[in-house]
Amino acid sequence: MPVLEMKDICKSFFGTYANRDVCLEVREGEIHALLGENGAGKTTLMNILYGMYQKDAGSITIDGHEIVFKSPKDAIARQIGMVHQHFTLVPTLTVQQNITLGLRDSGYPFSRERARCEHIDRLSDSYGLKTHSRALVKNLSVGEMQRVEILKLLYRKAKILILDEPTAVLTPQESDHLFAMFKQLKAEGCSIIVITHHIQEVLDHCDRVTVLRDGCSISTVETKGIDAKQLSTMMIGRELVPVARERQNHHMDAPVLELVDFGFKRNGGKVGSVNLSLRQSEILGIAGVDGNGQKELLETLMGLRDHEKGKMVCCQQDISNASTAERRLVGIGYISDDRHRDSLVLDMGIAENLMLRPARSTAATQGHMVNKQCMLEQATRIVKEFSIKSHGLQEPMRFLSGGNQQKLVLAREFIGSPKIIIAFQPTRGLDIGATEFVHNQLLAMRSAGCATLLVSTNLEEILLLSDRIAVIHEGSIMDTIENKAVDITRIGLLMAGVRTEGAAR
Amino acid sequence: MKRRDDEWVSLLIVIGATLLVAFGLIALVGSNLMVAVSSFLRGIFGSSYAMSEVLVRATPLMLAALGVSIGFKTGFTNLGAEGQLYMGAIAITATALVFPGLPPIVMIPLVILVGFAAGGAWALVPGFLKARFSISEVIMTIMLNYVAINLVGILVRTGLKDPAYPYPMSPILPESANFMQLLPPTRIHAGLVMALLMVIAVHLLVFRSRLGFEMRAVGLNGRACHCSGIQVNRATILSAIAGGGLAGLAGVSEIAGLHHRLIEGISPGFGYVAIIVALLGKNHPFGIVFASIGIAALQIGSMAMQRTAGVPTSIASIVMGALILFLVIRDSRQSIAILEGV
Repeated sequence: MPVLEMKDICKSFFGTYANRDVCLEVREGEIHALLGENGAGKTTLMNILYGMYQKDAGSITIDGHEIVFKSPKDAIARQIGMVHQHFTLVPTLTVQQNITLGLRDSGYPFSRERARCEHIDRLSDSYGLKTHSRALVKNLSVGEMQRVEILKLLYRKAKILILDEPTAVLTPQESDHLFAMFKQLKAEGCSIIVITHHIQEVLDHCDRVTVLRDGCSISTVETKGIDAKQLSTMMIGRELVPVARERQNHHMDAPVLELVDFGFKRNGGKVGSVNLSLRQSEILGIAGVDGNGQKELLETLMGLRDHEKGKMVCCQQDISNASTAERRLVGIGYISDDRHRDSLVLDMGIAENLMLRPARSTAATQGHMVNKQCMLEQATRIVKEFSIKSHGLQEPMRFLSGGNQQKLVLAREFIGSPKIIIAFQPTRGLDIGATEFVHNQLLAMRSAGCATLLVSTNLEEILLLSDRIAVIHEGSIMDTIENKAVDITRIGLLMAGVRTEGAAR
Repeated sequence: MKRRDDEWVSLLIVIGATLLVAFGLIALVGSNLMVAVSSFLRGIFGSSYAMSEVLVRATPLMLAALGVSIGFKTGFTNLGAEGQLYMGAIAITATALVFPGLPPIVMIPLVILVGFAAGGAWALVPGFLKARFSISEVIMTIMLNYVAINLVGILVRTGLKDPAYPYPMSPILPESANFMQLLPPTRIHAGLVMALLMVIAVHLLVFRSRLGFEMRAVGLNGRACHCSGIQVNRATILSAIAGGGLAGLAGVSEIAGLHHRLIEGISPGFGYVAIIVALLGKNHPFGIVFASIGIAALQIGSMAMQRTAGVPTSIASIVMGALILFLVIRDSRQSIAILEGV
């Protein structure tokens, strides 16, 4: 008998269906994957289960009883717990305080901190989580924070655990540990629902999988007896065409971009330092776990932060202290990982967002005035060229889909054929179609001679596109290797900060 | 379509709620509702003079609100229009008294420029501090209001005092510094024309120029502008100067068009009401024209109501406050709805 049954769940936001007659059945003691592209409705479905959203129609049955959750509080009372993609921890509190936040001890109002700490440490040890209950959360790594989130659920004795994209912030090895722990929980009778869009993860670690597409549940299957191809067809509704990356012979020209002992400030007062060089028509991938200084490095490269020491040379020009505008005029384009915050003005339209460049590099600026006709012509051309779907050039960016927003960012950064593109997680939050588009565009720029610095926490993306791969750990480059018959284990170890001589090749 | 309908319905609810507050207050002070309403309306539309008074009062509101709106568009929360207005008033008084012999053709442009510069300089202080050190402009602009208002108090008792009278006020300015009376005997003066020209100028600046585009973009997402190589600090500082300058012009217009001398309290809170006008006009120059006339009418009407029906004018301020409150509630409800949809 299933522990959890969600039947014909419907949920719409302003007339658009996020979930449409979705069915999900989870058995006791299984790891159940919820597979689908971004925007397929996975997170919405789980938020309904967790009581964050109210369903429009359908029923939820737990242990044979139909239930209605008004808030996550009700769900927790029913032993359902969820770890969100963006963690919900208070950085200035300790692990123990975060875990017990909102709970009442038996001795209330007197707290029994030591007993709680011991309980948490025991719990943590029994699952091999290696978390110290008195540590401050702000000092933890992302992986550790995730373990605290999981401990939070275990402390509340959750029987159904929901995890939204848990492996996104982990190294391959950490992911393996995570799933090993899930197996232990499973043996104890817990059910685990893992939201993911990584097919391999589903095949390797999960028992059954429910595929969602466009808000509908496509089917639920056992992972035994199904292969990656079948799953991807279910997930995107067609077969995936792999991106073709033809090899290019690099002329041994002088590098377009050179970083010499380039020091940058990292969050928390730490300093990172890198040596890198980037040639024409080359994509240099930087792999690494999120939060190892990638964002700070790129922002320093763009002049958004002050650099600490060393030199940044672009085409024989030292631009270490140049302003962002000057760097852009030299020919550097920037694709941020957070397009809403760093790249777009969401309340402006397509045409105006295309003008978000230094004044001198905008065709539509004439003297001090804006040439509206020129601006609209440019926008029309770009919308056509990049097939951006919208209801007109003045429609606020807010109402465009993530894929179309990102297309616009790409289009804008590619104006005036830049020499260097700095791309940080350019496909973050995009569906497969849009991801393909972005990959193809980056490869097209490479063919046109552009040098690209691609930083991503998605190793598959790095392996797919890069000519060379550098691995970043704690703000410094561990090693740089040619992308030919790469040993994934070695990259994983480098990502974790382990340099092994023997393990290579 | 549906969203449009909702907007109208909610606007009607806001108007209804505001009227309810107004009527409730009138009943509370024990006045006859019919007498109060009719005296209110007659105070506005009763005669051509009454109507002209509305325009006279709308003039400084319009100029100051334009200034406030430029700041708001750029994300510079300028609550210091009152102080900037007084700085403009000091500037015109000092200039006209120092150079009394200048012909009008020189004097008028000079006092306008100096008034703009004084208001702009007053707003430059918080503008620069915000741009350079990210110090909150909200507190600073408010505090500078007190400085400017009391500066006027000092000046009309010392440097700019009229020696012929014992009262704290400046001498009458030379006639060359007076704005033309447009329709005597009404008090409408050339300041209204200046205000309307500024409406067009602000519209061109904000919606047609590159700088205006940058200002709006900075106001909506400064971080993205920074990443795109747009000079955020420059946009912030320039918008502060332009906004302060426009508020300064309101001071110039009040002195040159109405008072012809500097006295304490030339502004009954125009700089603060301008914030309301800018909000009501949705920070759009054309919207501000209507909003300033509307608020001016409310104030003029309420004065008539006080004279005839004995209803205190404070009610007008309460009604304004309530109106803004309702509008903010309405807007936030909509933005919540939009956020949920994403």
